Amino acid sequence: MVRLITHNLLACHAKGCTTNNFPLQFKDVSIELREAELNPDFIKGFLPRIEWKALVDAARQLGDTTLPSEMPEMVDDEFLKNLHHVLLEMHVEEGAMICPNCSHVYAISNGIPNMLLAEHEIA
Amino acid sequence: MYSQYLCQFAQVHEQFRIPELMSVSELHGFNIELPDDMDVTRPFMILGLESDEHARILTQRCILVKSICEFYARGKTYEELHMQTRADPSKWARYVENTSFKMKVTAYNHSIPQTRARDVVEDFSYMGMLGKIDMIQPEITFVCYEEYVDKHGTTREKHEGDGEFREVFFGRLIDEGSARRLVKSFDVKKRKYYGNTSMEAEISLLMANQTLASPGMLIYDPFVGTGSMAYTTAHFGALFFGSDIDGRQMRGKAESPGIIRAAAQYGVDKRIIDLCTFDVTQNPWRCGEMFDAIVTDPPYGIRAGAKRLGRKARPSGAPPRTVAPRSESRPDDQPYIPPTKPYELSALATDLILLSRYLLRHNGRLVFFLPTVTDEYEEVDVQTMLCEGMEVVANSLQDFGSWGRRLITIRKTSSEKYAPPTFEPEGRRLELEKADVASKHVPAHKDFRMKYFKKFNKEDYVA
Ligand SMILES: C[S@@+](CC[C@H](N)C(=O)[O-])C[C@H]1O[C@@H](n2cnc3c(N)ncnc32)[C@H](O)[C@@H]1O
Ligand SMILES: [Zn+2]
Repeated sequence: MVRLITHNLLACHAKGCTTNNFPLQFKDVSIELREAELNPDFIKGFLPRIEWKALVDAARQLGDTTLPSEMPEMVDDEFLKNLHHVLLEMHVEEGAMICPNCSHVYAISNGIPNMLLAEHEIA
Repeated sequence: MYSQYLCQFAQVHEQFRIPELMSVSELHGFNIELPDDMDVTRPFMILGLESDEHARILTQRCILVKSICEFYARGKTYEELHMQTRADPSKWARYVENTSFKMKVTAYNHSIPQTRARDVVEDFSYMGMLGKIDMIQPEITFVCYEEYVDKHGTTREKHEGDGEFREVFFGRLIDEGSARRLVKSFDVKKRKYYGNTSMEAEISLLMANQTLASPGMLIYDPFVGTGSMAYTTAHFGALFFGSDIDGRQMRGKAESPGIIRAAAQYGVDKRIIDLCTFDVTQNPWRCGEMFDAIVTDPPYGIRAGAKRLGRKARPSGAPPRTVAPRSESRPDDQPYIPPTKPYELSALATDLILLSRYLLRHNGRLVFFLPTVTDEYEEVDVQTMLCEGMEVVANSLQDFGSWGRRLITIRKTSSEKYAPPTFEPEGRRLELEKADVASKHVPAHKDFRMKYFKKFNKEDYVA
């Protein structure tokens, strides 16, 4: 699946790759939209964890432009719905995520990203 | 103000009963008063609760609760029981005039012959119930429970020893437990996807209750395997995230991942946020304090090997290894499988707690199984792996004879930010020293795999 909430939480963790290792860049992705139940408390509680720019950029790259560039100070229903949609309803099924720093390619197949490192990449 | 309630437990998992009650009451924000002379091995217990409503919350959520009654009386004999019942008619007087009722007489570890059951009912006639007896849909049900000691393993006639009960209890039924049904609904054998590491349904449900799973929570299993705890925590409304070093465990053979297929069967596939393949000791989490609970059955080297990326230490003088070529974009079911090295259990347990301290939010819970050697286990074993900011809430043994596994529930009591663990011996040592635990103590779960294969024969492994 790789929902955007997940994408927002994963950084490259290859040996020595500690700066500019987030967000991973999507490449050759196929996307599916699937409805999910809205839980406003969950979304609000999660807000402080989000790296906002990374989320907005990823959403825009995948064709959703509903989120403002700056995290708004006031959280209204409209915004919650849009944020819910971006975080939980956009699924990347196939493709890859690439580290902007070391170019490691993390493949996604049938919705499961392979974040496993090869031998020479572990600390 | 507490009133007394009579709780009847299912005849299993004794040590899990109280932790479950306490978790469910914490989740719903009420208190339970436990009896001073508490004996968890007995199937009946008098609990102090503030309302019938709280009793119903327990019967609807606790897997191990069979029923809860408003408590009227108990006795070693029926004389005692009747004396107490008569002494306090205020409890039942309001039902005398005009309430349809039935009376149930049953026993634990015994079956009462019908003729005597009828006599028992007769003996309550002093209550003077005027309402009609309704066996199908009574407004209230009185219950009389006789508790017999377990005669398991002995042969006897069906009604032998009738009347020789240990104690008898009497009360008004509030509710029969409805959560026990879930044990059947989550039966592993009826699941669309499972494997030889799948956790039995009842235990997965008990684990979910220990996490306080509820809507709006985010729960993580870092050794998710075939996802047994994903289904039960999601059933209670939580969102779930799973990862495993072996993608095939989560995926199975079909195109769509096995865990998602099984979750769909329970109507909770949308609550599985994502599944990821990675070694938890080389994890890609960008930040900490994300999860409300971590629930897991870590690998302890018997069925599912405890392993992590890397190679075993080589003898000195051995030629250097050639390094694998740079990995290209590769799904995890393709041939390249990185080499792994063993992961000793006590190191893994300490790492899991340190990782949880990093990944959990304040007051979040870690719920996990720790296998241990029955004869060698000591209370302090669990303390040897605790670090600062984490506190044991519950510790329940599931006994398999020479070994057993303990379901440990730990709460992150600290609101501080912590660094991720190093997953190396030096890092562990520093943390345990800080926590000032008995770091010289060697816990019984150390080298569990080796001990298991030596059949827990101490002479074979103690130098
Ligand atoms: C006891 S099984 C968990 C079973 C799971 N509860 C289920 O319902 O199937 C342990 C799992 O841990 C995985 N594992 C072992 N070492 C690991 C590591 N270093 N990182 C992540 N997963 C690991 C194994 O692949 C296995 O699936
Ligand atoms: Zn990188």
